[in-house]
Amino acid sequence: MTNIEKYKLAFMNGLELDESVVYENLELGMTKEWDSIGHMTLIAELEDAFDVYIDSDEMTEFTSYQTGMELLTRLGVDFRS
Amino acid sequence: MSFISIEFLLFLTMIVAIYYAIPHRFRWLLLLFAGYVFYAALSVQFIPLLLTSTAFTYVIGILIERQERKQQKKRLMWVGVSVLVLFLGWFKYFNFVNDSLRAFADWSGFNYDVPYKEIILPLAISFYTFQAISYVVDIYRGKQKAERHYGYFSVYFAFFPQLVAGPIERAKKLLPQLKTEQHLDYDNVRYGIQRIIWGFFKKTLIADRLAPIVSSVFNSPDPTGSEIVLATMLFSIQLFADFSACSDIAIGSARLFGIKLTENFKQPHFAVSIADFWNRWHITLSTWLRDYIFMPLAKGKKKRQQIYVAIIMTFLVSGIWHGAAWNFVLWGLIHGIYRVFGDHTRQQREKMAAWVGINRIPTLHHWWKIAVTFQLVCFSRVFFQSHSMGEAFSHAKLYVTPASWAPSGMMQAIQMFSLLDLIIFLVVFLTVHLFQHVERTKGSAWDWMARQSPVTSVAINLFLIVSAFLFGVSSQGFVYGGF
Repeated sequence: MTNIEKYKLAFMNGLELDESVVYENLELGMTKEWDSIGHMTLIAELEDAFDVYIDSDEMTEFTSYQTGMELLTRLGVDFRS
Repeated sequence: MSFISIEFLLFLTMIVAIYYAIPHRFRWLLLLFAGYVFYAALSVQFIPLLLTSTAFTYVIGILIERQERKQQKKRLMWVGVSVLVLFLGWFKYFNFVNDSLRAFADWSGFNYDVPYKEIILPLAISFYTFQAISYVVDIYRGKQKAERHYGYFSVYFAFFPQLVAGPIERAKKLLPQLKTEQHLDYDNVRYGIQRIIWGFFKKTLIADRLAPIVSSVFNSPDPTGSEIVLATMLFSIQLFADFSACSDIAIGSARLFGIKLTENFKQPHFAVSIADFWNRWHITLSTWLRDYIFMPLAKGKKKRQQIYVAIIMTFLVSGIWHGAAWNFVLWGLIHGIYRVFGDHTRQQREKMAAWVGINRIPTLHHWWKIAVTFQLVCFSRVFFQSHSMGEAFSHAKLYVTPASWAPSGMMQAIQMFSLLDLIIFLVVFLTVHLFQHVERTKGSAWDWMARQSPVTSVAINLFLIVSAFLFGVSSQGFVYGGF
């Protein structure tokens, strides 16, 4: 499984979203599942999936599908693999 | 030396004058001296505790930073947090735990003979302990460097404008400002004086005028339901005026030294939900609880129910922080339940709003949410204000009894105001709402004030000062000063 697939799967598991709903323009608050509480469950899924630690400041800058990828890239996740 | 006193204004003026007259390298010494004099004037017997907490936090911070292994850092961080909580626990919670255990032993027939101890709560301990914990944890998390200059560190612990009742500041925000050389700046001085005047206005004309009226109801052996309803809503206004005034004076005083403290309030009674309320009320405590209680509890949880438990536990900590009594625990629990219930029923409430059609009139829907949130907050404050659990439940029952809201009863209850009190309250209430309206429509009332001509600005400030002198009363300390 590629990292981008793992990333999408974390969204699907963490937010209980259908695959068709997970797209690149998705933002925090755009769906009822991705609210402040859903955000915490998503963070837990991502930490497990990529074995990283996301601190509270990083959590607040993670506000969209795209910024989540940027954050994980900074934490060492390579989305080209 | 209360904030609301001529002594404080003279003290502040003298310290500000000396601050700008001496070289920057000596200013930490002046601020430290001022902090300890200010604290000693209020609570001299607890100066040793303040000094001990400061020294301990300073040393443990350096020790944590020096460790190379994460495990060692973590162990020391827990030592630091435990000792700080122990200080707080001994003074604030010993008798609460002791009394609760004794009551439980009486009920269950066990023998329990730990005697009651006369323990005085040290002034500001809840505030400076939370600052100290955030400092220690932030060093462990690598977000804060351990401060090596003992003088600046001590000022962070005892910066007199925010020492007694916050805002609860983080070291990474306050320490760099203390170390930066500040120059006498007209805008800072004007802003600082205006915030102080505004604080005096709210405290003396709203909070302290309402306090005896509210107390007369809550101290009464048999208040009517309407009196409880009215007094509870007035208490909400009193508490906001009191605590936000304290923050205004703290923020204004700090700005005279060129230091920007964190805002503590954003019109909390205009919140549209409980979650929104906690983003607007006592913001520095809310963010502290979020970062140091909720986040560690919620981290790694993958189910909403687990996060709901973390929310409830965070609000229980908030309740117990406010006071060592079961009614505060219950107050925190109520807010936790509000928050969880609000999240869990959001979809159903949205569907209901669509079914009723209120969401087609956004302004009405918005004000409906404000009114409901205000009522939920007021109901919780019945527990905040009552003196015991029995009394709290009795008052809460009266608050939700429909007959208590009957217009005839409310008209009778309003007679708790004298005519003069009522007129002053209405004029001042309108003034505060005008200010809040400017905040909502113009972004910042303080920026709006800065854009006014000097004549308008002086006229507004004169109105506030003269009103406070003529009609203001001051016989009370700040409510949050007691926490």
